[in-house]
Amino acid sequence: MLNLAVVVKLEPDFSEGNVSYNVDGTLNRAETKNILGPHSAVACEAAFYAKITCGASISIGTMGPPVADIALRQAQQITDADELNLYSDRIFAGADTLATAEVLKAGINKMLNGNKIDIVFSGHRASDGETGQTGPQTAWKLGYPFLGNVIEFRIDLTRKYVIAKRLVTLQGFDDIIEEVEAPLPVFITIDPSYKPIYNKVSQHLAFIKFRKEAQQRVENYKQFLKSYNGESLNVDPKFVGLPGSPTIVYKVEKIPKAKANRKTEVIDIQNSNALKSVALKLIHP
Amino acid sequence: MTEEIFSDSEEGKYRNLYVVIEHVDGKLVPVSLEMLGEARRLIDEYNARYNESELVVAVVLGYGIDNLCQQLISYGADVVVYAEDKELEYSRNTIETKVISQISQDSNVARQISPQSLPSYIRPRYMFFGADSIGRHLSSTVLAELESGLASDINKLVISDLDIRHEHKTKGKTIRYPRTLEMYRPDFSGFLWTTILCLDNKNPEIMRDYHPQACSIIPGVFAAMAPDSQRKGRILKYSPKFDQEDLKIKVLKREFLKKKIDFDSYKIVASFGRGIKEEPEQNIKLIEKLSKLINAEVGISLPLSKRPYQLSESINLKYMIPERVIGTSGRKIAPSIYLALGISGAVQHLAGMKESEFVISVNSDENAPIKDESDILVNARIEDFLPLIIDEIQKIRPMTPFQE
Repeated sequence: MLNLAVVVKLEPDFSEGNVSYNVDGTLNRAETKNILGPHSAVACEAAFYAKITCGASISIGTMGPPVADIALRQAQQITDADELNLYSDRIFAGADTLATAEVLKAGINKMLNGNKIDIVFSGHRASDGETGQTGPQTAWKLGYPFLGNVIEFRIDLTRKYVIAKRLVTLQGFDDIIEEVEAPLPVFITIDPSYKPIYNKVSQHLAFIKFRKEAQQRVENYKQFLKSYNGESLNVDPKFVGLPGSPTIVYKVEKIPKAKANRKTEVIDIQNSNALKSVALKLIHP
Repeated sequence: MTEEIFSDSEEGKYRNLYVVIEHVDGKLVPVSLEMLGEARRLIDEYNARYNESELVVAVVLGYGIDNLCQQLISYGADVVVYAEDKELEYSRNTIETKVISQISQDSNVARQISPQSLPSYIRPRYMFFGADSIGRHLSSTVLAELESGLASDINKLVISDLDIRHEHKTKGKTIRYPRTLEMYRPDFSGFLWTTILCLDNKNPEIMRDYHPQACSIIPGVFAAMAPDSQRKGRILKYSPKFDQEDLKIKVLKREFLKKKIDFDSYKIVASFGRGIKEEPEQNIKLIEKLSKLINAEVGISLPLSKRPYQLSESINLKYMIPERVIGTSGRKIAPSIYLALGISGAVQHLAGMKESEFVISVNSDENAPIKDESDILVNARIEDFLPLIIDEIQKIRPMTPFQE
């Protein structure tokens, strides 16, 4: 049995109908619904895969306001998690990635009765913040080796190793698929392209069984929910939230429009001659 | 009005701008040279303004890389610190984090770099990484080790003296922060710019130094210097100390994949954005048809890679993928014709397409920002435009070699 953790994030729902943009093209946060972030959901799929293939206890953690329990509930639906942890305290507010990692580290160390976590999963990056820094920084603070952009993995239970494929994308180079092995424990961020593959009948059966169990658990998800604040996590207030953040947001401005670089001919769609010239241009580029 | 209530004397604790270089098997990743170009520009201005002699320091790790050092000098580095070892052949996060952190904090290395470094040296003043599959994670773990601040995905940098008044940093007092790196980061929509600062806590209750001021830089944004083979610089070899614990991750195999989406071999790129939203599935099918007629590769704007629409899985997997994104978060292209379908033209997108020879955009908003980069703007909804243009093309050339 493995002990697995997933750290997740509540994010704006970017799907059409739920997302709302201001007239200037910026996100209207007040009008946009929040959900479990899509990258967090992929990390949950990966943890569930590990549970089905190896057997595992799963604990989910998130830092956020009390409403972030929606994200935990959605994560439980995917993973059939045994434990949900909400790290919520006004002193955590305004944290940058380093101060967030401090809280997540403390939270992970308390998961599953303080037992050693074998693999921590996290999403590639949040859709709204998009820094992609919180995962690796949490890994570093935990002292776990970090594997990023994982697109496929399996666990060798006898050797206690993870064998993983990573997608490395670099400007000006063909993509690299790198196969690595790492002894447990390890911290993994899952690439958005990850898709679990279940190719044994026993895995399919386990999938159905645990998803059904997850459905029942989710109906009473509060029974699985533990809430922590700064005091119960035993974090030093100087290292979390705004006081523990090296960085601040100094200002936010609209990106100035670049100078017009081309003379633009505006064409009306009714103008068939103009449309014909566009067609000719496209035929003979 | 600045209240000098706290001493802001640095006493030589910080010095120089370190650029962490990336390469694949000894071939430099272009962002490394772009970072050196920007570092050179910033440090030259800095030295002139503050009457200093701080340096651009390139840090490069690997195996068989001594030939890179001179190249880095020709692209703007004053000093190259390189660590050469079989264990550093492939980029591995843990060991690279340790070695870079050692180099950054070693006061002997600092003295070799700048003989005028004081014994009080503890950290680089500034630090740059590439915002890509290697640098994004490496910057995170290095700055976690150095316990300082990091801004990601930066596309503009300014050094200035700032008067800051902040509840926590300064306890509400106004304090001057000299030589502060303003790090500009475009948000995901491409319409907002956030300036991130990494500031020491000068509030006596939470007093703490936060240096280096570090960021990861978007590839393709800054210009590399024209290489000057006559440029002089110094090359320092660093012998890293390894802990066996840090070498446990093994790279078993590496495979290079040909890019699935090859924009460069197409004369026309047809991209679509949120303008497809009225009838997304239908519009994408029409775009697919058009692109076959004119032999175009299909691109998308960044918001579409987040899959905002309910679409069939086959369309999602084929089109709504990061590999197709044009812009600073994706590919930078320069086709003969760029066709922008329902793309409003966020700055990040424009950066990816503005080198195109000829730009035709289709937008229902005649004043959308894309206009400034368009040679022709067809003022129409794309669901109205697509059937008409397909019809028109088929009238002119009923059969094409590109049709299936």
